[in-house]
Amino acid sequence: MLTDINLVLPEIFLLVMISIILIIDLFLKDESRGATYVLSIVTLITTAFLVINNSPETTQLAFHKSFVVDPMSVILKSVSLLVVAAVFIYSRDYLVDRNFYKGEFFTLSLFGVLGMMLMISSANFLTLYLGLELMSLTMYAMVAMQRDSDIAAEAAMKYFVLGAIASGMLLYGMSIIFGVANSLNLAEINQAISVSENRLALSFGLVFIILGIAFKLGAVPFHMWMPDVYDGSPTAITTYIATAPKIAAFVMLYRVMVEGMSGMMVDWQSILIILSVASMFIGNIIAIAQSNIKRLFAYSTISHVGFILMGVITGTDNGYSASMFYTISYVLMSLAGFGIILLMSRAGFEANNIEDYSGMNQKSPWFAFIMLITLFSMAGVPPMLGFWAKVSVLQEAVNAGLVWFAVAGVAASIIGAYYYLRVVKVLYFDKPKDDTPIQASMDMRLLLSANGISMLALGIFPTSLLALCVDAI
Amino acid sequence: MELIIFYVFSSILVLSAIMMITVKNPVMAAFYLVLSFFATAPIWLLLEAEFLAVTLVLVYVGAVMVLFLFVVMMLDINIATLRKGFVKMLPIGVAAALTMLMSMIMVFNSGYFSIEKYAVPERHSADYNNTAELGQILYTEYLLHFEVAAVILLVAIIAAITLTHRRRANTKHQDIDKQVRVKSSERLKIVEVKAEKRK
Amino acid sequence: MISLSHFLVLGAVLFSISIAGIIINRKNVILLLMCVELMLLAVNMNFVAFSYFLGNAVGQVFVFFILTVAAAEAAIGLAILVVLFRNKRTINVEDLDALKG
Repeated sequence: MLTDINLVLPEIFLLVMISIILIIDLFLKDESRGATYVLSIVTLITTAFLVINNSPETTQLAFHKSFVVDPMSVILKSVSLLVVAAVFIYSRDYLVDRNFYKGEFFTLSLFGVLGMMLMISSANFLTLYLGLELMSLTMYAMVAMQRDSDIAAEAAMKYFVLGAIASGMLLYGMSIIFGVANSLNLAEINQAISVSENRLALSFGLVFIILGIAFKLGAVPFHMWMPDVYDGSPTAITTYIATAPKIAAFVMLYRVMVEGMSGMMVDWQSILIILSVASMFIGNIIAIAQSNIKRLFAYSTISHVGFILMGVITGTDNGYSASMFYTISYVLMSLAGFGIILLMSRAGFEANNIEDYSGMNQKSPWFAFIMLITLFSMAGVPPMLGFWAKVSVLQEAVNAGLVWFAVAGVAASIIGAYYYLRVVKVLYFDKPKDDTPIQASMDMRLLLSANGISMLALGIFPTSLLALCVDAI
Repeated sequence: MELIIFYVFSSILVLSAIMMITVKNPVMAAFYLVLSFFATAPIWLLLEAEFLAVTLVLVYVGAVMVLFLFVVMMLDINIATLRKGFVKMLPIGVAAALTMLMSMIMVFNSGYFSIEKYAVPERHSADYNNTAELGQILYTEYLLHFEVAAVILLVAIIAAITLTHRRRANTKHQDIDKQVRVKSSERLKIVEVKAEKRK
Repeated sequence: MISLSHFLVLGAVLFSISIAGIIINRKNVILLLMCVELMLLAVNMNFVAFSYFLGNAVGQVFVFFILTVAAAEAAIGLAILVVLFRNKRTINVEDLDALKG
């Protein structure tokens, strides 16, 4: 029991701190809200430190094999925690300008992080489900939090209804798998599947589970919510939704498909391959027609999800680590991209349209350059991080004998390059619409610069991060 | 005997579920959903899930559905506009549901779920305590999950308050604290008025 | 004798009804929320039935948690609905057209 507690120590610390923040925030006046902000960031960083410091050398199971701590969970948890801390720093000015700098934003986000940590560590359907719901419920509420906004409420409602239906599908699939395998534990399910004769019911359950996971990931044809939610919610919350939860969704895919149902690999490969190809193409093609940059990023996310799926579909350990590498790269890129949108927005002005960025180079050559790195990285231009992410996934697909699949991936990313370059053109060659200078606090400028440079630096020296991902699987 | 009970309650359940999705008035739909929960409870009793059967009635009918009814009645909903497109979608909905049902029945009647594979267990004796058995597992094996469920409920409270709580500026509630602390000088102002001189 | 298939088919019927409900009541958000509750009822029926026939109480534990989460979900869903109604004065899905593209 004591070792069990030791393994969930970061989660316990996080929960205790959230409760403390919740109570302290009650007594704070609006002017001293900064205390909540600082405390939240300190909590996230300390939790990340605890996760790394507490990591066991081998895979450890806790709470009757329902909670797992392995190298992968350590890396992904610490990345999620630090990313959310960065989201807080990026969004502070945005929130203050919009009279939205409230304690609930921080506490709900932190609860969401707790849910993600549970998902990342799940070794059991129940842990996975509860972590997922904890994360999703906070996100539904956060989207609707700007109460006087029509479109935020509309986006929240769409997100909620579709999300609840997807959860229902996922649960239905889980119930059938439970009935056949007589267990909720992923490892035991995997054993039961390899000896079970009831393939029909198993594949039936599998279809429902994939439906649920594909929705949470945002893969085509379950992607409809993403553009609306990205566009409708306040940018600070979009930044939160577009980053860390994708890590959790990737882990959900990995845990269920690889650790829970590798006995049915042939079945899920054939379904996921369709979702992956459709996501890569439809995401990139629809993105071309967008004039709203948040929608553009939403469709670009959909195509990135296709690539993340590609690594998992290979069914090899190297493929899984390539997917993990891709997920981490995607989160860094997405963080920087939305960071720029938050930077360009100011009181009473949302920099949501691509033309709002025209002539950014004349206003701030440095941040135009950061945006350039981000867009090139998303497009997969060497030597950025995104290039290596795409290369490693495509290479594993070729190694697994799926050459046509890799070719489709290359074709999709060439289509994608077009709309990223269009934004680059706007940044550098169009005339600015106004000459309002960019205002941002020093900490945001520094962090955003570091975020941008990290994509270039990791692109030039990708081996360390790649090796980390290879070791983790 | 069990079979009769099963068929009686499951037909009530299915009928009320169909009524729920087809009635015009959302309030009636909520009541049909309540009826479906009531009909489910005896079926779960047949499956020796006494605790859950009771919880379903207490928590679902008692709390969740009351919340639903409260919201339906609070929002003044125009029923007529909500019914537009109902007839048009009906055939599609029925067709989708029927194809789905056919494939599901094919899976569940494929023989893998027959009595030979999943034998009917012996009934527990009269002193069997379902609640104790569940509690035994819940507080040992699923302790972590139990705590997480508590966190989820806390999140629901915070979220619901954040979203719906409005601070009204013009409420006329009494602040006893202020009333007690009030000083005479705040309420009573002595004005010196010079007497008017008579001419 | 009642067999497992009886309960599974009952669950399947409920699940299909909820899917049909979602399709034909696409315009009415509150009905959609009720259909989700019905869907969860179908899931719970499956879990309870499997739990009994497998002699494994874990299925009932799962249902316990689904009920808890569904209660939280309903509270948040209805709160969002109230926010939406205050802003738009309608819950008709057709009027939710500010987001397109």
